[in-house]
Amino acid sequence: MEEKANILDIRDLSVSFRTDEGLVQAADRVSFSIRRGETLGLVGESGCGKSVTAMSILRLIPSPPGRIDSGEILFRGQDLLKLPIEELRRVRGKSISMIFQEPMTALSPLQRIGRQMVEALQLHSRISRREAWQIGTEWLRRVGMPNPEEQMWAWPHNLSGGMRQRVLIAMALMLEPALIIADEPTTALDVTIQAQIFDLMRRMKKENESLLLITHDMAVIWEMCDRVAVMYASEIVETGTVEQVFRNPLHPYTRALMAAIPSASSKGRELYHIKGQVPPGINYPAGCRFRERCPIAIERCGMEHPMLDPYGDQCARCFRAGEKGVAL
Amino acid sequence: MNPLLQIRDLQTWFPIHRGVISRTVGNVRAVDGVSLDIYPNETLGLVGESGCGKSTLARTVALLEKPRAGTMHFSGQVLSQAQPGIRRKIQMIFQDPYSSLNPRMTVLEILTEGLVQHRRIKSSGRVTAAREILADVGMDPDVLYRYPHEFSGGQRQRISIGRALSLKPELLICDEAVSALDVSVQAQVINLLLSIRRKHGLSYLFISHDLGVVRHMADRVAVMYLGQIVEEGPADKIMDAPAHPYTQALISAIPRIGAEKGKRIVLQGDVPSPAAPPPGCRFHPRCPYAQDICRREQPELKGYEGGDSDRKAACFFAGRVG
Repeated sequence: MEEKANILDIRDLSVSFRTDEGLVQAADRVSFSIRRGETLGLVGESGCGKSVTAMSILRLIPSPPGRIDSGEILFRGQDLLKLPIEELRRVRGKSISMIFQEPMTALSPLQRIGRQMVEALQLHSRISRREAWQIGTEWLRRVGMPNPEEQMWAWPHNLSGGMRQRVLIAMALMLEPALIIADEPTTALDVTIQAQIFDLMRRMKKENESLLLITHDMAVIWEMCDRVAVMYASEIVETGTVEQVFRNPLHPYTRALMAAIPSASSKGRELYHIKGQVPPGINYPAGCRFRERCPIAIERCGMEHPMLDPYGDQCARCFRAGEKGVAL
Repeated sequence: MNPLLQIRDLQTWFPIHRGVISRTVGNVRAVDGVSLDIYPNETLGLVGESGCGKSTLARTVALLEKPRAGTMHFSGQVLSQAQPGIRRKIQMIFQDPYSSLNPRMTVLEILTEGLVQHRRIKSSGRVTAAREILADVGMDPDVLYRYPHEFSGGQRQRISIGRALSLKPELLICDEAVSALDVSVQAQVINLLLSIRRKHGLSYLFISHDLGVVRHMADRVAVMYLGQIVEEGPADKIMDAPAHPYTQALISAIPRIGAEKGKRIVLQGDVPSPAAPPPGCRFHPRCPYAQDICRREQPELKGYEGGDSDRKAACFFAGRVG
């Protein structure tokens, strides 16, 4: 297969938040790339830093208390962290768009759907109001809204959660961005609506459009993504293609995550669970951050911080990732 | 065996008020004619989309909502607010462990409030009782004087479970009790709930939108749609071979690791409003197999041709479609 160019390269991104308890390291030297046309899943449990990483791409971290301490976010080779804010605004929405978890807070409650769509369209391209209205209506039709002409006049509160999420997907796609960032886009929705939205995203995403999908659900990663990056305690601990990582997870955290999911065959048995808790983001321990909870930790894990090392096409942050047949 | 809980034709409606004099202009038929049995030492899973009435059903059983019609019996006795003695035997755990514990109460107070209220212990016995409960739910007994905010979500849910167990209930209602938790913590709480059931011989009414979790936990499953039960039977049989088109769509909608990607039944549209349920079969506007009869007549929840004797479905074509 021909190697496609990277649309996004994140290198050594570090983000911290000032809190009453001290400085919280929310993302710690995070690096990953997304290729053109690819869907990358970023998975991890609450507080692991996945949303902070996603928000940093468009510099949406509230500051203060948050701060991007270091790193590069190269979008088509251009560092978004160094871009003047006026130029960044042109990137937001037009080249990179975002879909958030809560569709109610992402839409203005004071404007009708049509007006919000027109505003976004006119901001990024020189078209008349009438044209923008038509394009907006057409996109609502494409995302499967019944009576799109009428819905353009609807208020956000008139729509159900699934319908609002459709509006946001239409708004994210209508400017034909090169990269779409979706942060838990279906977490607040029912499974049948989630199925509709995924079906829609799969059909709507164009060949050359890339998607960064953030989720806590391993099954969603399987369903939607080409490659996956697993985050734990502000770091990426494993990356690889979805097929590889699900067939042969290398990091004990990834393995434990998958073993903890109830399935048809788990019935009547005790589920695997990870003991203890995620260490707080203030003063992470030296050595491996998963060590305290890891069933296969060795002495070295307490002393040295493991790097994200390659194992074939996969990468894992574990000293024992290369060993075969280590049971959890 | 006699059921522990027997529900017949239960209806719980909420009036819709409009205008300055709050005229009643209609009713949200949250629970609209539900019949169910839960047997001793059994877990019944209740699944369905948001707004289908599963929480209202649970709250009605827990005597937190007043039913409009229908009967409920618990161990053969009528279940109503007029029978305070039974109330203790039904306890409930909620989804959000952050809002279901009083932030101004210590763990000790949370765990023994009910015991003192029901005069099951003297106040001098509180500490001993609370320590026993904490040990029961796998927590350090020395946290008695701490407050809820000092605990993680998983630990708070353990405290909620402890509080519910303190009154030695016979039926524990878990309303999305593990849904807000991360996978690894969720696994801990699921394991705890299963071990408690083994140890105390409780029955569970386990409500969740996560069918994987329900399959792991439940012996039998009831599927709810727009205030009614549309399918009921042993968990494995329903998950492996659902008979009702709605159950089929619901199960096919769940992303499953290892499943073929993008192959699923995608239901059209949203759940209709429970204030104005469609005539005939309530699922017919979204059903891919709907016929004329489905638009006219309401199917009954009953055994169907070719189905096992322990299964029921409310569909004219149950077991013959999908």
